[in-house]
Amino acid sequence: MHHEEVFTNRNVTESSAYYYVDIESYPTTGWDKFKQVVRRTFSGELFIGLWVVMREMIKFDIHTVQYPKEKLPLGPRYRAVHKLLRLWESGYERCIGCGLCEKICISDCIRMDTRIDENSRKEVTEYSINLGRCIFCGYCAEVCPELAIVHGPRYENASEQRAHFVIKDDMLTPLDLLKAGAQEEYPGFGAIIPGSDDAVKKTPLAY
Amino acid sequence: MINFTINGQNVTALKGETILQAARKAGFYIPTMCYLEKTTPCASCRLCVVETDKTDGFILSCQTPPTEGLAVTIDSDALKTERTNIMRLYNVNHPLECGVCDKSGACDLQNKTLEFGISSQHFSAKEQHRTIEHWGLINYDPSLCILCEKCVHVCNEIIGDDAIELKFGGYKSSVIPKNSDTLDCTFCGECIAVCPVGALVSSNFQYSANAWELTQIPATCAHCSAGCALTYEVRHTSNTVGAIPKIYRVTNDFEHTTLCGAGRFGFDFNVNGTKDPKMFAKAVAAIQSATAIRFSSLITNEEALILQKLKEKFGFKLYNEEARAYQQFMNAYGSMCGKTGCGGTLEAIKQSDAVILLGGRISSDNPAVRYAVTTAARHRGAKVMYMHPLEDELLQNVVTQYVKYEVGTEEGVVAMLAKTLLEGCDLSNEIREFLDELDEGYLCAESNVGDEEFSRIAKSSLRAKQKTLVIGSDLLSHKRAENIARLCALIEMYTDFSIVVVAPSVNTVGVSLICELDTDIGGANIVGYNAEGDFTMGSLGNPELLLPSLNSQEGTFVSMNAQVLPTNVAVGFDGYTLNDIANALGLNAQYTIDYTPQLPRDKGFNGTPFDDLGNFYTALGEDRRGYILKNTDVEINGVLEEINDLPEFNGTVVYRCNPINQFNGYTAQTKQLEKDATLRGSTQFAAAAKIADGDKIRIEFAKGVQERVFVIDSTLKGTVALVPTYDVALGSLGEQYRFEKVKIIKMGSES
Repeated sequence: MHHEEVFTNRNVTESSAYYYVDIESYPTTGWDKFKQVVRRTFSGELFIGLWVVMREMIKFDIHTVQYPKEKLPLGPRYRAVHKLLRLWESGYERCIGCGLCEKICISDCIRMDTRIDENSRKEVTEYSINLGRCIFCGYCAEVCPELAIVHGPRYENASEQRAHFVIKDDMLTPLDLLKAGAQEEYPGFGAIIPGSDDAVKKTPLAY
Repeated sequence: MINFTINGQNVTALKGETILQAARKAGFYIPTMCYLEKTTPCASCRLCVVETDKTDGFILSCQTPPTEGLAVTIDSDALKTERTNIMRLYNVNHPLECGVCDKSGACDLQNKTLEFGISSQHFSAKEQHRTIEHWGLINYDPSLCILCEKCVHVCNEIIGDDAIELKFGGYKSSVIPKNSDTLDCTFCGECIAVCPVGALVSSNFQYSANAWELTQIPATCAHCSAGCALTYEVRHTSNTVGAIPKIYRVTNDFEHTTLCGAGRFGFDFNVNGTKDPKMFAKAVAAIQSATAIRFSSLITNEEALILQKLKEKFGFKLYNEEARAYQQFMNAYGSMCGKTGCGGTLEAIKQSDAVILLGGRISSDNPAVRYAVTTAARHRGAKVMYMHPLEDELLQNVVTQYVKYEVGTEEGVVAMLAKTLLEGCDLSNEIREFLDELDEGYLCAESNVGDEEFSRIAKSSLRAKQKTLVIGSDLLSHKRAENIARLCALIEMYTDFSIVVVAPSVNTVGVSLICELDTDIGGANIVGYNAEGDFTMGSLGNPELLLPSLNSQEGTFVSMNAQVLPTNVAVGFDGYTLNDIANALGLNAQYTIDYTPQLPRDKGFNGTPFDDLGNFYTALGEDRRGYILKNTDVEINGVLEEINDLPEFNGTVVYRCNPINQFNGYTAQTKQLEKDATLRGSTQFAAAAKIADGDKIRIEFAKGVQERVFVIDSTLKGTVALVPTYDVALGSLGEQYRFEKVKIIKMGSES
């Protein structure tokens, strides 16, 4: 059965409910302006607002977040200032210096320097992120094969300079915090996808 | 021409070409892991297998030439399975450290693994304990090695060091130094270049940068006259040192070119300057009032032309004794045979069946010649005759006949050589008479080269099809250089020998063509450009005005192959250039390379602008670097002179000869190259000079005195010692005859 919806005719016509607001003409003389100011100042509207505040204050049901003492909870995928993590067991830096974060960075704000160390291993000597350029896209954390660079929850990066650098020491978990078990793992960008272990192909070993 | 088919398409191969070469030329892709265009096939990877209608099973296309009418299949399902299985085996236990490996991003194994889709390991093997080897400039990680043998092949067939070999032992196999605990070689680093994985790497470069971060700048090596193609790889330094551009390493197109150690490891000789208007004004004033400019051959053609133009404008003299010696040699040569240049090239040496090396220690003077001679000896079984007062241990694997002549008797030796080689040629009466009148007895006795030695040379070269005579720089700086040049010209005119003249420095040839040089008689107010003078400028020593070094300049060189080769700026220079000075003196060019099209056409330059010069090899190995100088005709007016009395050099004689990988003031500044500044001689020399190993000595030359340490070199024989030149007088080698009788005094013993 064909049904035709009936729409209200909202077009402005002679018979519709629309009407022109009768706007009071602006005062032109000084005396008229004065009278308007006095009328608006002493009307009761001010006390309506004050009453609302008073009522809520007495109820003690306050929703204000006490920033910076108190912060809103962040989602796990929140992407703020980076952190460099260490391996739990050995305390070595997770970063192997592969340079993928530097390569993938679309705002070209990561710079690192590596060298060969005494044990013929690659050592990361410098690592810096120019927060003035960083757009916090999360690509660096996502590309990192070692879960070494992650986005932490620290979003305050006000600075006196536009180009505020974070260097390796600022981002790397201090050893004492690691030993105290205080290094946090972040479930967001770059973290292991749940069920990753099942997806790993096992290599046969001869021993 | 052999006609056959690949996948049903008609393909032609030249005689001697393999199926792989013909396929590549025709644009077919056959994967390989161990194939190197410039060596004999290693045949170790077996990835290049193909099927034919005339054989059962697979054959290796890299070492099999096609036969007429052969039908070759290169991509059947069976072949794909075979190749995939080979790649699976390559990946067994290969360390998963691509994240840190230097080769990552430019790795053959990575590429092929992705190409064949090897995503998991199906086999296993018990992993061996493998230790990383540190061989000086080279590090070797056996666990990354895939045993393709490319390194062993280049070291043996191209370089001639024969320093590494494969230790066979199944899964335990690895590359080891040959007959030695540690690597003892000339450190050309060619093994690093050809390594398809990260097993052999430069120890200085290792883990300092990733392949994709480096900007590649094609250039020409600034160290010797071979003008090898190289690529400077540049990146910023770390933030703590200012993130300024720096050369991280040098690479080469290893399929078609070869680099020596100086080219590969001696790249950090750039300087940086600032614009100091006061010093600039001083330089301009110094040139205006100069009687002469003395300059070295470490200069581009464009700057040489600027100097020539300034000479024409201001009328001062131009001093460059090294290039002048070369110029005179080539003029004398041309006056005999009517050509400005010789016919031989490095490529011709590689194709030769007989090579005569005369008057130069090429393994240190010009490694590219040595590599070409090694290639000829290994690939073509060439007879190599080495004529020099000093035997060279590095050449002993390739030299078939060593002819020792007495120091200073080069003119007599060349005359006798000409007589031997011109035997039976259709000569003019005048020349025939000259050769007949040679006093053989005297020449042979004085030079100490017997008749039978010359006849053996004649016999060796008789059967050869392609022959090359390499003239070393001893002859260029010889007192009788011009007569020697005329005799050499005779050999090239009347026999099928082509001649290669080993110019001493990177652009000796270019300078000799562009500048009108004057005899260096000294004088007041001399401006030195990378040379000594009253006002000095340049990039060597401590000049008053810093000018860019050769890896901070764009311009061209002329190599000993008479090829005009472009070079580019690897790292920038903030100070002034010679062009700025020239502009202040009334010349007018925005950039130095504006002079490239103005290089003299009558000397063979063709006027191509700099930006139109190529600097690369095609995938098939065709040389697209710059252009070849036109060999122009000159008037024939040369007359052979009587052979002078041959001089005698008795007592303590030294030979100006740099250690391997050292050439000039630039190589002397580099971080990685070994800087051996000792006087090296045999025990016999030590006895004659009454000095012992490790003695501090003073060497008194005709001009100047040097203090050095004497070291006994067990590879040397005879009574001539080797004295380096790279570390004195801004490093020039070819200014005077390279042998000199000196007085050696043990320091502390004089009263």
